[in-house]
Amino acid sequence: MKRITTLYAALAVLALVPWFLGNRYVFHIATMITIMTPMAFSMGLMLKLGQLSIAQPAFMGIGAYAAALLSMQLGLPTPAALLCGGLIGGLMALATGPVFLRIKGVYFVLLTYAFGEVIFLIFQEWTSLTGGMSGLYGIPKLSLFGFRLAQTYHYYVLGLVFTVLCFLVLRGIEKSNIGAIIEALNEDEMLSRSIGSNAIAWRVAAYTLSGFIAGISGGIYAFYIGFLSPDPFGFRGSVDLIVINTIGGTGSILGPLLGAIVVVPLPELLREARQYQLLIYGVCLMASIIFIKQGLVSLGRRRGGKA
Amino acid sequence: MIEQMIVNGLLAGLIYVIMALGFTMIFGIMRIVNFAHGEFYMIGAVVVFILAGSFGWPFFLAVLCGGLAAGLLGVVIERALFRRLVSEEMPSMIMSLAVAIILQSTVLIVFGPAEQSVNRPFSGVWTLGRAVVPWDRTVVALGALVVLAGFYAFLKLSRLGLAMRAVAQDPETSSLMGVEAGLVYSAAFGMSCLLAGLAGGLMAPIYTVGPYMGELPMLKAFVVVILGGLGSVPGAMLGGLLLGLSESVLSTQFSSGIALIASFLMVLLIVVVRPAGLMGRIAR
Amino acid sequence: MTRVLDVQGLTKRFGGLTAVSDISFSVEKGEIFGIIGPNGAGKTTLFNVIAGHYKPTAGRVAFAGIDITAHSSDEIGRRGIARTFQAVHLFKQETVRENLRRAEVIARLNHPFALFSKSKPNGEVELEDVARFVGLGALLDVVAGGLAYGHQKILGIGMAMMVSPKLILMDEPAAGLNPSEKREASTLVRRLRDERGISILIVEHDMPLVMNICDRILVVNQGKRICLGTPDVIKADEKVIDAYLGENYEFA
Repeated sequence: MKRITTLYAALAVLALVPWFLGNRYVFHIATMITIMTPMAFSMGLMLKLGQLSIAQPAFMGIGAYAAALLSMQLGLPTPAALLCGGLIGGLMALATGPVFLRIKGVYFVLLTYAFGEVIFLIFQEWTSLTGGMSGLYGIPKLSLFGFRLAQTYHYYVLGLVFTVLCFLVLRGIEKSNIGAIIEALNEDEMLSRSIGSNAIAWRVAAYTLSGFIAGISGGIYAFYIGFLSPDPFGFRGSVDLIVINTIGGTGSILGPLLGAIVVVPLPELLREARQYQLLIYGVCLMASIIFIKQGLVSLGRRRGGKA
Repeated sequence: MIEQMIVNGLLAGLIYVIMALGFTMIFGIMRIVNFAHGEFYMIGAVVVFILAGSFGWPFFLAVLCGGLAAGLLGVVIERALFRRLVSEEMPSMIMSLAVAIILQSTVLIVFGPAEQSVNRPFSGVWTLGRAVVPWDRTVVALGALVVLAGFYAFLKLSRLGLAMRAVAQDPETSSLMGVEAGLVYSAAFGMSCLLAGLAGGLMAPIYTVGPYMGELPMLKAFVVVILGGLGSVPGAMLGGLLLGLSESVLSTQFSSGIALIASFLMVLLIVVVRPAGLMGRIAR
Repeated sequence: MTRVLDVQGLTKRFGGLTAVSDISFSVEKGEIFGIIGPNGAGKTTLFNVIAGHYKPTAGRVAFAGIDITAHSSDEIGRRGIARTFQAVHLFKQETVRENLRRAEVIARLNHPFALFSKSKPNGEVELEDVARFVGLGALLDVVAGGLAYGHQKILGIGMAMMVSPKLILMDEPAAGLNPSEKREASTLVRRLRDERGISILIVEHDMPLVMNICDRILVVNQGKRICLGTPDVIKADEKVIDAYLGENYEFA
């Protein structure tokens, strides 16, 4: 119990670091962490159900383009556009879930991979709407209650709030009866179903939530960067999320959080040696599969008992 | 027009078949979805670029060396990294992602990000009916046919080929019958990478050579294998030609982007309706 | 309406193989009904069709007058039919208490929308009551995977009870148990009916046990019905003895 309190305190201090350093670049990295952490949560949520979904960046992209286009083309107020982006992400998951989630294991991975590619290609090919590979420019800044979020640190705070919110909600779910139901489904689906658990409905619910979270992350990203191209929403994006979840560990909600804090700054820190960042990335991933099957979280657990 | 589309489709399809065969074989035998498959294609091409392009070796010798280099590397990687993960579908898949990243970045570090081109060893065109066929593509197609024939003979005639088919069909019984699984795993992985390397080598003069060149063929192999059924050799053949043809038609009529979207929509449909693919049996 | 389960003309074919052929029977309220047959007779297929794992090729299954023929296993579970497994299915890492609690939670919150409905939780009291009833009251805090095999099977029955079922389908409850565990299991099955009013359908290999506790028995062989009746009728039936010839069965 004490160990976990220390960890939360350390995380809280860590969240304040950008202000101590006061550097705009540090704020940028920190903001990217707060955007990628909910993304990693959304993949981790599906992993808890035993399903590796490669489609999460696609949902992020759907949220990003939806938020940007709704505010640019239809003149929707930016917070409403952000929310709509999340809802559309969730709805896409809700619509595809009942079909996709009947499939399990490798085939589910391949299915979501194909789905992700289709969405990615649509971003790329539908140039009249998305600008295609040359990108979508001129996305307005987010305005909340008449306050225009123009600075990097504004988005950091926004991302931080959303991350903490996701953390609390998912942590709450994990600790509640729903967490037990989901764990039971993953552990023994036949038994769960014999007691009446509606496996598909629970999976679809989790998938919808994961799509919503990814959609909101995408919206925040769109308003923060102010420019969208299909690139971050392709297979590369999924690999990043897999790396984060593998290195952080999937046993607990803390896993993706720690994973994102470690992994997201990596390419930025290695900026001078750009060609080496991929290599280090790959080696880390490989090492984490070989040496720490349960990820970073399990390291703490092994030494300190149950986290 | 139709003849041209069919010729183009078959020319592309043959390479897809070779890529897909190796990919599907590793899944059939080791239950590993190898996301690094495209990188072995890339390595074959890079070796051809060095040997034929820089040292002026004969093209086919360079292709053979490219294939062997990819195959050997495959054997080493299988033994060092994948052996411990046989039949563990998720961890092995993530491991293959790691391997893909490492191979890509290594080539990136050594060669830089620039796309290089290899001089075409053949040029000119000939006509088949009303279709125009470039000589270099013809040579690639012939090379692909030789590779396919060789692979088929290996699978049907050699003892190792027989052992591989046996393990793919029923690992437990085969091990009871004295088939040494370890050897079969090495052979299968090596063979699969050899095929990818040969395909990459053959294609090196057609497209440019660079660290990321394996991604698209990997994507195609993936589509083919789902269409034909994961783990099915006849399925890979049928799926490869089918994808080549459908792409050729769709990209002529619409655009290559539409063709790619259509192929992934096909994948979605197949996985949902018939997960075992067109020719596959439901794996137990 | 005293029929709890009504099976009419049930047939299941796999390709060319007919595993279950035109089987009809019904389970009355408060009855312990047994299905027996030699190995490969189609008992397990029959069980799986009723439990919703296979869709039948022909025929219908009704529960309390409602057609449940093509329902999935979880729909059947929600209707009030619980089941136990031949090979134990438990949450082995968790304690007995947590297993029972989970069963209750899963049954109550069987669908995400159930979160918004106000059904009353049956809570800890019933959990401990069930644990005492099946004889695991003293083992509530033991991890399920560490229980003796017999106790694991009994915990399976306890979990089925947490669903408050009207009918429990039992798939070979005696398989893997030693003689004293078998006696305990038999007693428990009877008490379930006598004290809780739960009807029970047993598919079992163990002839003496079935003869001992069942009110009526259906004998199947090669997917077909051989005989149906009370244990006395079964014991006297020529065809049953023929079906088991060479299997060295002793009729208790």
